[in-house]
Amino acid sequence: MTRSRRKIGVALAAYAVVFISLIFFILPMLWIFYCSFRTQASIFTGVVLAPLKEFTLENYQTILSVTDYPTYFLNSFKISLAVTLLALICSIAGAYGLSRFKIRWKNAIIMGIFSTQMFPQVLLIIPMYLIVFSLHLLDTVTGVVIGQLILVLPFSIWMLKGYFDNIPIDIDDSARIDGCNVLQCLWHIIVPLGAPGIMVAGFFSFVVSWGDYLIVSIISQSQRTATATLVIQRLSSALLIRWGQVAAAAVLTIVPTIILFSFVQRRLVEGLTAGAVKE
Amino acid sequence: MIQSRHKGILLILPALAVMGVFTFYPLLEGIRIAFTNKNLLKDGVEFVGLQNFARLLSDDIFWTSLTHSIVLTTVVVFLQFVFGLILAWAMSQKLPGMTWFKSIIMASWVIPVAATVILFKFMAQPDIGLINIMLQGLGFENLNRYWLGDPNVALAFIMMLHLWRNVPFYGVAFLAAMQAIPKSYYEAAEIDGANAWNKFWHITLPGIRDMAIVMITIHVLWTFNNFDFVYLATGGGPVNATDVLPVYVYRQCWNSYTLGYGASIGTIMLLLLMIYFIVFIKISERGSTYR
Repeated sequence: MTRSRRKIGVALAAYAVVFISLIFFILPMLWIFYCSFRTQASIFTGVVLAPLKEFTLENYQTILSVTDYPTYFLNSFKISLAVTLLALICSIAGAYGLSRFKIRWKNAIIMGIFSTQMFPQVLLIIPMYLIVFSLHLLDTVTGVVIGQLILVLPFSIWMLKGYFDNIPIDIDDSARIDGCNVLQCLWHIIVPLGAPGIMVAGFFSFVVSWGDYLIVSIISQSQRTATATLVIQRLSSALLIRWGQVAAAAVLTIVPTIILFSFVQRRLVEGLTAGAVKE
Repeated sequence: MIQSRHKGILLILPALAVMGVFTFYPLLEGIRIAFTNKNLLKDGVEFVGLQNFARLLSDDIFWTSLTHSIVLTTVVVFLQFVFGLILAWAMSQKLPGMTWFKSIIMASWVIPVAATVILFKFMAQPDIGLINIMLQGLGFENLNRYWLGDPNVALAFIMMLHLWRNVPFYGVAFLAAMQAIPKSYYEAAEIDGANAWNKFWHITLPGIRDMAIVMITIHVLWTFNNFDFVYLATGGGPVNATDVLPVYVYRQCWNSYTLGYGASIGTIMLLLLMIYFIVFIKISERGSTYR
């Protein structure tokens, strides 16, 4: 009797946490999505449930055909894709090396990689600006990609190393006996077996690059390299803010991250915390 | 283990090269610039010794920003830890709908910070923002205000943005750690007559200890170094009410063009984080001997 009553109490408390979490974490996203279909006048009435006739696709039409937003969206895409690919190549190889090979000063290297999380990015960006400037890479996609690469590389190596450590070493030993060289072993054994972790590392790189503001704001100087993130910030700090349009642009900038998230969602936590869980 | 050490080095070489050139070299160079009067608009650069650091001591905005940074990091990481635990507890209950809830809850962590800031700037608008509409509905019309424009609440509001982004990450990470604790521990404790609190204190907390250490360590570093939230939400205003060190460094460098002075503040940030890192690692190592 008391046992089942306690169970009901626990369930109620858990659902209360779920309910509050949904309001706090999910409602803001639904709200901006909802308002992105309302006219400026409708938003300014301050009414929550607007009548149907106040809904419109005008905000999206304006953002997609009147403003330069599509250019910035494409820039974001190019940059994030390049960052993700480069980060994956460097970090898969690096994590494999650290996970499987005897390397002198290995612990110091791992510690060094982890310690970069401590470095203030606002300090790094000062010399980085000067380096990028002297390489004539200011306001180029390459310049932005290099800058963002260092944001994601350390964490992605650390995460993948944790993931690879959990793949039994016997499997690569036996592949080796069958005559695989290092790269074949990496490609045929580690990459397929580590695929879930690699997907998460790729996702992490894409999302960090897509959401980066600091690096882009300094290395980008014009429309050639400005990204969606930079532009929604500009739209939302204009003197007269068109909230409907800002909402539409924000939704368009959020959508790619949410779509990718839906693919990796099951693996995300396992991958992100692989570096923290040692077996 | 596998034979040759050269192959291992070759594999990590690309990563090390990128980080060497674009992380470690800039770090040293940044610290060097902190001792110069480098200015983006002027040509000559001179070594000025500790002049920048001496100027810091009497710079009120530096001290304000430092205080805000420390308060913000401490409060945010502490609350994230507590709420993350509560969330993990709720998600660990086997109830209908929980799988669905777990699958969507991390959405706030993946969207760009700039978008998060817009979401909340929009909701914080006077009269038309959802927060004020809801308050009005509850009969608190007199609270109607632009929440990021009020010096008394702006910093707390920004702390809330940090929580919005990171609490679900803590929740799912702690949940993963909790699920790795063997069920038999709890069963044995129940036979010994342990209550829910005892079980939490003696089994769950030690079980998630390693995960908690990693989460706290990286989040202290990430939160203290975080630039986006404050810069995008308020730029440090109103009247420095939300200024934090990274934003002050950014303004010194890219609005006032005084790179040398900005770098000296960045160097202080690095120093503080190094002290934190060393102390925290020492404490957590000492704690582990009890297990």
